[in-house]
Amino acid sequence: MEFLRNIYNWIDVRLGTHEIITEKRTGYLLPRNVNAWYSLGSVLLVIFCLQIITGMLLMLYYVPDIDKAFDSVSFIMTEIPLGRLVRLFHAVGSSMMLLVLLLHMFSILFMGSYKSPRELHWLTGFFLLLLAMGISLTGYLLPWNQLSFWATTVATDCASSIPFIGENLVELLRGGKQVGLHTLGRFYTLHVGLLPALIAVLIGVHLFLIQRTGVSTPPFGLEDTSNQWKGESFVYEEHPGGIPFFPNFFLQDMISISLYLACFMVFVFFFPNIFIPSTSYVPANPLVTPSHIKPEWYFLANYQTLKLFPSEIIGLTVQAIAMAFLALLPFIDRGEEKHPLKRPLFTFCAVSGILLWIGMTVWGLYS
Amino acid sequence: MRRWGIILMLLAACVMPSTQAMGAAPQVIVCIQCHAAQPARLSDPVTLWQTSIHAEHGITCNACHGGDPMDAANSMDPARGYRGVPAPTSVPALCGGCHMGVTKHYMNSAHGRALGRGGPTCVTCHGSHDITRASLELISKKNCTTCHTFDKALMIRRAMVKTDGMLKAIEKRITILKSQGIDTDPLEKKLFSLRNRFHAMYHSLDVTLIREESAHIQAELEKTSGAGGAGTGYLVGVIAVGWALLAALLFSMIKKNID
Repeated sequence: MEFLRNIYNWIDVRLGTHEIITEKRTGYLLPRNVNAWYSLGSVLLVIFCLQIITGMLLMLYYVPDIDKAFDSVSFIMTEIPLGRLVRLFHAVGSSMMLLVLLLHMFSILFMGSYKSPRELHWLTGFFLLLLAMGISLTGYLLPWNQLSFWATTVATDCASSIPFIGENLVELLRGGKQVGLHTLGRFYTLHVGLLPALIAVLIGVHLFLIQRTGVSTPPFGLEDTSNQWKGESFVYEEHPGGIPFFPNFFLQDMISISLYLACFMVFVFFFPNIFIPSTSYVPANPLVTPSHIKPEWYFLANYQTLKLFPSEIIGLTVQAIAMAFLALLPFIDRGEEKHPLKRPLFTFCAVSGILLWIGMTVWGLYS
Repeated sequence: MRRWGIILMLLAACVMPSTQAMGAAPQVIVCIQCHAAQPARLSDPVTLWQTSIHAEHGITCNACHGGDPMDAANSMDPARGYRGVPAPTSVPALCGGCHMGVTKHYMNSAHGRALGRGGPTCVTCHGSHDITRASLELISKKNCTTCHTFDKALMIRRAMVKTDGMLKAIEKRITILKSQGIDTDPLEKKLFSLRNRFHAMYHSLDVTLIREESAHIQAELEKTSGAGGAGTGYLVGVIAVGWALLAALLFSMIKKNID
């Protein structure tokens, strides 16, 4: 212990770490009515770190070549000690990351935390969701199995519906006319290079924004639940008499992270096939089309929506409008009230939208 | 800039599948193309074959009847190997071209020795076009009593029941392991070899030999029953989930104390 204390002191006299811990953590106060939903951001950070670690471990043995990719994944799963576990952590983790991201987004939505002056927080979060979907889509192709090959073929083909540039865009995505070696190369580069870097930068921006504006006050347990920001000047939202981040809310973060890990490991150890169906273990064959090609669960609603419209471009346009509406929500909803029960029209629309999304997902799954 | 924004949103919104069919259907050989459109006498073989184990494994008409399945004009030309309907006495040799182990046992059995004198050939039990998978169900009162009593056949069947059950159980296990991404290749190869040895033995009709061989095969199958199961392990899962829940409880208790 003495040795550790000496190391701590050695660092502290040089960097003033004690001051950082005292002022920035213990002195960093959160609203008294802060709730467990606020810890989902920390859970997401842990998930992202786990994805990076497991992804780097997989990269040690994965070969991004159409003749070797499937075998290298099989090799990881069957020959490398703990390889199967690492791969399951990574594959199940990507789905869980999107699930937690959506929950985080819904909680922000219902607590009105996206309202001024936090429009940029919402926008960065929205783009993080898009990037998470993108990194999941690009990672889906890498095992080069029948399911991933055909899902990517159909997914990239969808871009051809965009007027004027559609065909060129498909070729740009695929690196050729068909999904093949160049597609795998492109998706691999995006998956392990560009997208993680963009996500890391955007997470940094998101955290910076939260640090600058302060944590928003939840609208529960208060009489006045309206937005206090008037837009006259920059104001850091302080919470005098609030609870310190460390150790109080840090412990809440740890509780949420532990509970998340428990749920995550239930899926990894007992139900991995929910996220990795058995057809994922068949190598890709460009000459044999499976009877049913379905995307991952987080794209099922989009998939089903496209099927409802007579032409793909209409389906795409409708979804683009819906996504644009979601992205621009803080600029559209300018009301001051934050409590969900005191703005019934918004709550009704939001609940209906979420139920519609769930309904379309289930419909897509069983259609 | 605005245009790129729209494109980005369109892409991001749904890089999603369409319902349009992709890829080409497998090519149908000319024998089926032509016969399927003929009256019942000529089209029935196609219908029956489609339900067969041969169809399941892609063994088409030309494997037994010869000819060129890719050339409509010359498909039934003897110069291309077309042999038409095989003579009953040539059936065991024809089938034995692929099922070698079976032919040896069959030719030494009472069935084989009666070949050409009213004795059964392969198609008598397995069918000629609706060829059924070799199974214990084929040794039935209905099939066997068309020529003789069921007594001896029943003894053979009883001697094979346990091994057959073990084979089916391991097949089922392989399917499950496969669906979990576990490499079952060595196990499948071993099972394939043992199953072939077992199925070939059916045809000897020698009850003593069947009993002895069944015991050997059962011993081999016992060895394989534990193989291939290098799964993540439920016990490790229970411990990991338990630790995570315990940690949550511990943090919750500390938090309560501090609050």
